[in-house]
Amino acid sequence: MKFRTERDGLLEALATASRAASARTAAGSASPSLQLVLHGNQLIVTGADPDLVIEVRTSVAGDADGAVLVPARLLVDIVRSFEPGAVTVTSDEEEARVLSGRAEFSVRVPVAAEVSRLSPAGGEGVSLPARRFAEGLRQVVRAALTDDTRAPQLTGVLMLTTGTGLRLVATDSYRLAFKDLAGMSGPSGGNEVLVPARALAEVQRLVGALADGKESDDTSPLVFRCGELDAAFDLGHVQLTTRLLRGPFPDYERLLPPSYPNSFTAAKEELAAALRRVRLMVRDTKDVTTPVRISFTEGGVELTVLTAETGRASERVDGSYVGEETTIAFNPGYLLDGIDAIRADVVTLEVIDSSKPATVRGEGEDDYRYLLMPVRVS
Amino acid sequence: MVSAGALGILHLDMDCFFAAVEVLKDPSLAGRPVVVGGTGPRGVVASASYEARVFGVRSAMPMTTARRLCPRGVFVAGRFEDYVEVSRSLREILRSVTPLVEPVALDEAYLDVTGSARLLGGGQEIATTLRSRVRHELALDCSVGVARSKLLAKLASKAAKPLVEPSGVTPGPGVVVVEEADEIEFLHRRPVRALPGVGPRTAERLARFGVSTVGDLAAVGVDSLVRLLGAAAGRALHELAWARDARPVVAERETRSIGHEETFPADLHDLAELRQHARRSSVRVAARCRASEVVARTITLKVRFADFSTVTRSRTLARPVRSGAELGDVAVDLLGAVELSMGVRLLGVQASGLSPAEVSGFDQLSFFTDEGASRRGRRDDVELAAEEVRRRFGQSALAPAILGARRERPGPPGSSERR
Repeated sequence: MKFRTERDGLLEALATASRAASARTAAGSASPSLQLVLHGNQLIVTGADPDLVIEVRTSVAGDADGAVLVPARLLVDIVRSFEPGAVTVTSDEEEARVLSGRAEFSVRVPVAAEVSRLSPAGGEGVSLPARRFAEGLRQVVRAALTDDTRAPQLTGVLMLTTGTGLRLVATDSYRLAFKDLAGMSGPSGGNEVLVPARALAEVQRLVGALADGKESDDTSPLVFRCGELDAAFDLGHVQLTTRLLRGPFPDYERLLPPSYPNSFTAAKEELAAALRRVRLMVRDTKDVTTPVRISFTEGGVELTVLTAETGRASERVDGSYVGEETTIAFNPGYLLDGIDAIRADVVTLEVIDSSKPATVRGEGEDDYRYLLMPVRVS
Repeated sequence: MVSAGALGILHLDMDCFFAAVEVLKDPSLAGRPVVVGGTGPRGVVASASYEARVFGVRSAMPMTTARRLCPRGVFVAGRFEDYVEVSRSLREILRSVTPLVEPVALDEAYLDVTGSARLLGGGQEIATTLRSRVRHELALDCSVGVARSKLLAKLASKAAKPLVEPSGVTPGPGVVVVEEADEIEFLHRRPVRALPGVGPRTAERLARFGVSTVGDLAAVGVDSLVRLLGAAAGRALHELAWARDARPVVAERETRSIGHEETFPADLHDLAELRQHARRSSVRVAARCRASEVVARTITLKVRFADFSTVTRSRTLARPVRSGAELGDVAVDLLGAVELSMGVRLLGVQASGLSPAEVSGFDQLSFFTDEGASRRGRRDDVELAAEEVRRRFGQSALAPAILGARRERPGPPGSSERR
């Protein structure tokens, strides 16, 4: 195999594909690999781990077709270290050579030379408006569980077809987000599928990167295909395939309180900024996070963070409050996640009491809700 | 620390602290019987103003009793945060006098002013100054005892308090100084209950022996005391009864540890039995942590063998714990790492790395009740309910099933609360 290309384009392709070849999830092999396949002038870079495959197509000046497997991390680091300009890659059975300027690297090809493959997701593809879908992902993916040791199904986002469109739901059991994307079609036949949040975060990132480059409206193509075991997202030059998660997903509808007796409304940015400030006092470790206490009173709320080690911080935020005076504590990060997810400028925080779910919603933004459980303070 | 006869140890105790802070927050409460405590069905009195004490209301009394005694009282749940805040200001005042401040509780501290005496005057002068500063800067009252030792300083601060009688409240002297020459006389007039380490059980045992004042206790020979109360407690009380208390004032920010130990009448070899004791002690420690409103991050297991050699094993957890079940899990785990074949004479469980439950004892609640956080909560609730039963019907009334159905507790258990 032999090709020549520009450093920047190659780096982007390698970096994107290598996001599916993380050491965290690579099974067995010490160092995850990228597969490079050259057909004429098209280079296909594939990064894969048992759950996620990302395949990137890019144009290069091809010289000799072929394929090679290279340690992912190392190759990305090498190409990133080059100055902008031409890069030449050649390979034989034993090594891959990467040259740029006067630098020359010969990288040994891994022995167990095969990237894992997922079965190509079959079925008829549905076309999704990329930007709106990605924005929905931005709002929902944050509520999914990131550590899968506890409940693997909670690391996924539930995608289901409703009467009016596509609904996305995620929960890590402490907060829950759901978004209705009106008019979009989901998995065929009214099915619901559980797609790993990690894969969807990549989709969101890729759409964002495309949109940044093109400055276009919602015309970027995004085709979603769903099989029995896998789902695929096709963004033209990038295809992402992910293994689906197995349920059961919690009965989230049961969690939605039918009504709220207490409701606080304020300017979103003001509330978020105050939360970010008082959060500076929070002690945040893997297991314990200091909560922020919110005292709801007529005309506003008082945010307080109090820690044994650091001290305290408090700030008042004006707004309109309807309900009983009460104090409820929340994980400040969880609450900020909810507020940041809101698109509207005015945000409403609805609470029941110190042990029942609270809701964050945007003014006039009825298609999105973020629920979170309080922190019990003894 | 006794140092060359100087009256350098101060014990400062706020008067009806929580209740007084409530009056400060709401001046319309001034002069009224104010009772601070849990307002739930199982709530107890945390603090009562002197006006309420006249009716017989006391700390740790069930709120229901307090309401019966004082139906016209003002009952408030109180906000712990407020007390923490005032307490912080109090400590600032105290630390301006000497860095050697040992807080015992939010409203109580020992000070060693031996080193400050040259600059700020003697113990009595410093005590008077502190009292007026607390009055002016915090608008609260306190009582201060001055003596050569912590024991006497504490007894002196008690003697400095206002006197509560059914007929009314008589203001106290505010500052009481126990001169070296008067120590024994002052001490021997106190009831034995006034000594640290004498709880209701020991007091009862001593009463049967004809001992009701510290003077009575001092008159009993140390050998008889050891026979009556065991070696450690007997000797310790004998020393205290003769005003010998060398405990230094340790400048620490918080309570250091809460522990519970059991000495067995016969050395134990059986791991299952030792595990039960470890769990039992853990439940006690947890109850006391709860009573002190603290959570613990470090759990230490202490094992003394038949030959008196002692090992300790401790573990610091990522998150603070507060239930006896969690403490017990760790204690049992630590026990597994100790070679026990020699026979165990004493087993102790200690919780340290304490922080106020208010600032670090919290649980992120989950939507789904079978999650860990909520399970912790339920364990807590079960323990709280059990604690209440024990409080009412005695320690042996209830125990977790895992602790078995032993009705007799072996040997005299010793409790320690190191500050």
